[in-house]
Amino acid sequence: MNMTKSILASFVFFFALGTAAQAQKVYATKTGQIFFNATGGIEKIAAVNNQTDSKFVDNTGQMVFAVLVKGFKFENQLMEDHFNENYMESTKFPKADFKGYITNIKEVNFAKDGTYPVKVDGNLTIHGITQKVATTGTMKIAGGVPEIEGSFKVKLKDYNVTGLYIGEKIAQEATINIKCKY
Amino acid sequence: MIKKIIIGAVIAIVAVAGGSYYYAFVYMKNKKFDMVNAEATSITSVELVKAFQTDEAGSNAAYLDKVLQITGTVSATGTTQTGEKTITLGSEDPFSGVMATIDSTAAVNVAEGETITIKGFCKGFLSDVVITNAIPVK
Repeated sequence: MNMTKSILASFVFFFALGTAAQAQKVYATKTGQIFFNATGGIEKIAAVNNQTDSKFVDNTGQMVFAVLVKGFKFENQLMEDHFNENYMESTKFPKADFKGYITNIKEVNFAKDGTYPVKVDGNLTIHGITQKVATTGTMKIAGGVPEIEGSFKVKLKDYNVTGLYIGEKIAQEATINIKCKY
Repeated sequence: MIKKIIIGAVIAIVAVAGGSYYYAFVYMKNKKFDMVNAEATSITSVELVKAFQTDEAGSNAAYLDKVLQITGTVSATGTTQTGEKTITLGSEDPFSGVMATIDSTAAVNVAEGETITIKGFCKGFLSDVVITNAIPVK
């Protein structure tokens, strides 16, 4: 009798484990977009990175974004050079990343098309400095394909990004926009 | 005499300011890097991925922002969210390769399994080695 119970319990455990494993899905892209805009004066200081790595897990909301700082493209090559050499020191700090969670992931119905508001909480690392970030955004579901959009501001001094023109031509706060289709 | 010096100084200041503005905001905005004739380090996609996987800091020092000429087998093709073409060259690791965005002026038509050579800027390593402004090499 005890043996029967043990077999039954084992069966239920492995069935539950198998179901949980099947239920979890990891969405990924290597071509997400991150824009930033730090315009402080007349000249536009903005750039885009079209090779953002991002993944998230549908049932936990765990998510990561990673970009190569040298992958940001400016309209002006001189600005790009200054951004990398004088402000971001991208040879020393080649990557920026975000690791966190969509805290209300249970409110997203992946089986139903629509645009769902999401809350995101985590740690953003830029220029070798990690800070907590909390923001909101949307997750659009279309035909089972999720697309995340969000925007938040970062104070450059919080990430020890310093330079001659910050507060003048370069804004003290940069706006970061994220758009990732998985 | 003083009037001439002042006029000369004003002309010189205007010329320097105008020249600086033109260089910084007009010339540099329209400047196009000559990838076709740029000197490049030749390497295979297998070697490049292995180099970053075994010594990322050393590989960054060696390859970051350098023009590389990379030969490999196409493992995937696609587009970015803004419509730029991408080509991924395979490595010995099925989870990692060399992903290149193709320069908008370059014509490239390749299929998975083909061996090609591309040339572009190395921007570092995420899950793939990232290459930008790539052009095919004939």
